[in-house]
Amino acid sequence: MVILREGLCPGLTADLITVLKKNHVRTVVDLVASDLEQLARKCSLSYKTLVAVRRVLLAQYSAFPSNGADLYEELKASTAILPTGNKKLDTLLDSGLYTGEVTEISGAPGSGKTQLCQSIAANVAATLHQRVCYIDTTGGLSGTRLLQLIQCKTQQEDEQAATLERIQVIHVFDAYKLLDVLQGLRQSFSQQLLRSGEKLRLVVVDSVCAVVYPLLGGKQTEGMAVMMYLARELKTLAHDFSLAVLVTNHITKDASAVSRPALGRSWSFVPSIRIQIHRDEKNKQGENRLVSLVKSSRQPANLQVEVEIGWCGIFEEKNMSTACGT
Amino acid sequence: MSDDLRRAESGTQLLARLEGRASLKELEPLLFAIGDCPLHGDIVEFHGPEGSGKTEMFCHLISRCILPVVDGGLQVEVVYLDTDYHFDMLRLVTILEHRLSQSDEETVKRCLGRFFLVHCSSSIQLLLTLHSLENMFCTRPSLCLLIIDSLSAFYWIDRNNGGETISRQESNIRRCIELLDKLIKEYKLVLFASTQTIMQKTYNENSGASHSEKRASSATDFKPYLCKLWQHVTTNRVFFSKEQKQESHIATFSVTSCHLKSKNVIKRSFVITEAGAQFIP
Repeated sequence: MVILREGLCPGLTADLITVLKKNHVRTVVDLVASDLEQLARKCSLSYKTLVAVRRVLLAQYSAFPSNGADLYEELKASTAILPTGNKKLDTLLDSGLYTGEVTEISGAPGSGKTQLCQSIAANVAATLHQRVCYIDTTGGLSGTRLLQLIQCKTQQEDEQAATLERIQVIHVFDAYKLLDVLQGLRQSFSQQLLRSGEKLRLVVVDSVCAVVYPLLGGKQTEGMAVMMYLARELKTLAHDFSLAVLVTNHITKDASAVSRPALGRSWSFVPSIRIQIHRDEKNKQGENRLVSLVKSSRQPANLQVEVEIGWCGIFEEKNMSTACGT
Repeated sequence: MSDDLRRAESGTQLLARLEGRASLKELEPLLFAIGDCPLHGDIVEFHGPEGSGKTEMFCHLISRCILPVVDGGLQVEVVYLDTDYHFDMLRLVTILEHRLSQSDEETVKRCLGRFFLVHCSSSIQLLLTLHSLENMFCTRPSLCLLIIDSLSAFYWIDRNNGGETISRQESNIRRCIELLDKLIKEYKLVLFASTQTIMQKTYNENSGASHSEKRASSATDFKPYLCKLWQHVTTNRVFFSKEQKQESHIATFSVTSCHLKSKNVIKRSFVITEAGAQFIP
């Protein structure tokens, strides 16, 4: 709620504000919603000034409709698709992670969510030469593992070092810190700090429910509100700066034993794309995981692929398997 | 606002406001019971859980509106308020390309020229945006349809920020709905707005065996949670649900459309293909 104050817009003088306040018009919304003709008569103010102020305030605080044709042109220039480094996973996702969208990976503990995130981060940094912001909320990220994955991509040591440098890792352990970090990202974008050179294209939050879970439960609404703030921050970041956002989530089982992503119904509306990863029931010891598409606006849901998570993460082990061994 | 606009109104604007707007009766007859197609000033609510095809149905309706008459469209303009930040423009383009008889870049862009997208990130911004859209409604006689996806996006944040009483927590959304109702009636538009199933009906855990049954139909799961005024102004409520079929790979979606005055109820199913939502006859 924006309170009317001097300097908010041209024409809004201190005298005007005092008179308005006496007539219970305190905020931008109050002014915009009031009947200006009546107000002008009641406070003996100039109708013209009020209309002008209202128009400027509306232009400042309302969202502007953009024409579909212009938007399409803009999207064609700004949308990027980030390949994951695994062909099967790319087909599932319709060639990769799309910028401007929030993609969610859900799965039980040990199903390979973090492995998937690290592999995708390594691939974006190594092959696309773009920067990644990896927000780790569980302490599950391992630097040596990241290096291993990058080594699968390139043999040159200086190239490996440059790739590691492209991945910025941030550890946060509560939701409020996470909000801080995301707002910091937004700020550095708007100050164009990140625009120069290699672009930041991917933000990974592994995992989002580790920080949200402690806040939920009971009859209070604050936890829900914080969760929705987080969701909105992630979505607007993705949208405003054409970033791909990748988050991980746990799964829960409902009463009829159908597994579904955790964090409840309100969160379920947040990701545009959701994939679920689980171990192959028949072959529990194996490295194979079944990855299924649960929600997508582009692909028919229910698609499923089998992905192997090995030494090289989810990358296809071309001739590396002999070189690395296990 | 409306006073100063009306004084400077041109003849075309006056006509637009009074009766010039095209009728949306032909928008999607299958979505409504016979005789219940949305008229000027009607408000239709889409309600359902995530992934039940609401946004996809919106895309279908948008494409029906913005396609030229020669390709079976209505050739009218649409404003889409995206509060969930999940509208997929490329998806709309794909649908248009499938439905146009000649789908070259130019024709697609001419269609998209009739479409306006607005993003809102808070209920206050939504309210101010609605105020500023009034001018657009007034000056564009071919604008017929307003879509809000979704109206419940700010529910939790408003609940938490609002203060002690429910009525204060609801004040922002109530003002939005008041204004919406006024604008829709005054400018003879049609509003489609989605609300998400974010509440579940409280039911006894002991009888929880039928949980999946309850999930299956969102109509029985309906629990109004937006402010009372919203229940009062809606003329049509359409429940969406996704049918779980393990054996086939093609998901079917079902809609239950209830007209709240005539009490007519119809049920239909649709599938989602590359070319958008298609009703199963």
